[in-house]
Amino acid sequence: MSLLAETVTVLLNGLQQGAIYVLVAIGLSIILGTLKFVNFAHGALYLIGTYAGLLITLEITLTDGKLADWGYTTLGLGWGFLPALLIVPVLVFVVGLAMERFVARPFYDRPDTDQILLTFGLAIVVQEVFKILFGGQSYNFARPGWASGQVGLPIVGTFPEWRLYIIGITAAVVVLVYGLIEYTDFGLVVRAGTRDAEMVELLGIKLSRPYLMVFGVGAALAGVAGVVGGPLYAVNPNIGTEVLVPSFLVVVIGGVGSISGAVLGGILIGETLAIMVAIAPQWSQVGIYVLAAVVLLARPQGLLGAEEVTP
Amino acid sequence: MSDEPAETPDAPEDTGTAVERTRRELPSWERIRQSEWFVVGVTTLAVAVFPWLFARAPVISGVLRGYQDLATLILIWGIFAMGFNLLLGYTGLLSFGHAAFWGGAAYAAGVFSAQVSSSPILIILAGTAFAALSAWILGFISLRRGGIYFAILTLAFGQMAYYMALSPMAWITGGENGFTGVELGKLFGVFHLRYPVPGISWLIGTWKYVLVGGVAVLCVAVANRILHSPYGMVFRAIRENDQRAEFVGLNVWRYKLMAFIISGAFAGIAGSLYTIYSAYVPLSSFYWTTSGEVVIMAVLGGVGSLFGPILGAGIYLYVENIVSGVQQLTLPFTGPNEYLTLVQEPVVLMDGFGAYWHLILGLVFVAVVVLFPRGIWGLLEDLGGALRKLGGGR
Repeated sequence: MSLLAETVTVLLNGLQQGAIYVLVAIGLSIILGTLKFVNFAHGALYLIGTYAGLLITLEITLTDGKLADWGYTTLGLGWGFLPALLIVPVLVFVVGLAMERFVARPFYDRPDTDQILLTFGLAIVVQEVFKILFGGQSYNFARPGWASGQVGLPIVGTFPEWRLYIIGITAAVVVLVYGLIEYTDFGLVVRAGTRDAEMVELLGIKLSRPYLMVFGVGAALAGVAGVVGGPLYAVNPNIGTEVLVPSFLVVVIGGVGSISGAVLGGILIGETLAIMVAIAPQWSQVGIYVLAAVVLLARPQGLLGAEEVTP
Repeated sequence: MSDEPAETPDAPEDTGTAVERTRRELPSWERIRQSEWFVVGVTTLAVAVFPWLFARAPVISGVLRGYQDLATLILIWGIFAMGFNLLLGYTGLLSFGHAAFWGGAAYAAGVFSAQVSSSPILIILAGTAFAALSAWILGFISLRRGGIYFAILTLAFGQMAYYMALSPMAWITGGENGFTGVELGKLFGVFHLRYPVPGISWLIGTWKYVLVGGVAVLCVAVANRILHSPYGMVFRAIRENDQRAEFVGLNVWRYKLMAFIISGAFAGIAGSLYTIYSAYVPLSSFYWTTSGEVVIMAVLGGVGSLFGPILGAGIYLYVENIVSGVQQLTLPFTGPNEYLTLVQEPVVLMDGFGAYWHLILGLVFVAVVVLFPRGIWGLLEDLGGALRKLGGGR
């Protein structure tokens, strides 16, 4: 393979790696930016999405865990991938609504640290429930049959088709969310609420419903990420927290509350990972943290983040 | 909000009976309780009696089913949680990266023992110094953002330490296998750590426990001294309102960094002790779940009090090591193996109980965060206060 082809392959891989982080990070970022709520349980939403996708997509055989003990050895519906891609976001959206109403809302007035502790505890609980129900082992989330082949690309030659789909789905979702926030009245209220919640309330707009919706949309995005990213990694109860940490880095690098920041941060992190894997695999994981440290030292508010008015 | 009950040196009513007047002249119970020597003395006593109560006392240990090594482990994690609490409970900074200091110190102590000296005291000093140094660096970077970002950043840099130890530094850390070459010498060149203490081994067990217990008492004394000094008052001021502290003219950033370094050093002491305790450093000591565990311990026990986190560490480790082994939850005093057997046939409340311990702990943690922000220790304090009020006291 020529150097050019290799480079492009690495860059494409990085884009695909970053895409998952972008999906998770946008949800984190808009919830953090708009509601000022730190959601350490966002990984748990990803986890729910992955398992739900797994069950809807495949006819999976459960060999371990309480569900198997209770006699549900085959729980998968075998409906295929597209239904999962449509149903799971709705499901996780509802979970997100419930979470805003019953978990986040009572804690808006409590200190930041309490919010973090609460969602951290919640993440543990969700993770443990999944561990008990499905057992601790990893399941293999097969990619959909219609996208499991290789595709011919101009410079690269062959490239796994599924990875292109990930990039495509992510791009479509991002455009959708961007449009929702930038060009609708709902988005206008949300953006205004991010700037100055008090002023918006004074103008006679109740913010509780937009807040509910923002949390739901953010959760649904994590659900999409769970389905799309499922086939990339083995599915086990720890996957949620493993996705959460890099996604937080994406938010911090890109700037809180900014969708384009999350996209930029996600691409940067994904590319860093892919390039490091190609040239110095040992350092690949360390690389993204070094990147985060450098960005922070240079621009504490993130690359596309606004300067904070109140510290 | 102040933690200690307000002292009332100028009590308005001076007309009391003779008995009351003499009582006032005696040093008040509150003042004794606040005094440094009392705190250190009670801690020493508790640390000395703890393993006996836990593992060898006639009836209690039969109920508790504890063992000597668990008592040691609880003290080690207690030091860790106490140091963590200096940051969270007193300065209001929530760090999710303390595994970096615990693990870093554990590895530094292990490598130091293999390469330089196997003297336990020197090992602890080396590990602690390493942890304090890394806390300085990580704190310097992480404290550039406050509040939630601080939590995220410490989490991120803690994970960075994990990945550093996993592969780029694997030539010295042993990568996934952990560090196995720990060498342990004699304490002060005389006492072999594994040997029982002659004469009082029924009470405190081995020299290892003497070392760990001694360090734990020292740590409590140091933490107590810090918290009751003007320096510690600044920490509390920062927790309450860091902007106001800034306006008063304090360099808040520097105090926060110092609190971070001190708490990192405590984590380092604990990490080095852990290396001495297990003579092995697992890679998982760097993983972020270690940070999570110390967060849970501190919050569960109660932040903002000196002993709450130690209690939390005890509860966590007890549940992890003893309760998780219970396969069948039965009603107390039923079944053949109980101390007070009332009914021979055990009354089973829940089967396969041990598998749920982590979930139950998670639920309890969430409940504590929502309902009792001051943790179990705070709950006990409130109960004690209510009882005293019932009894007619102040």
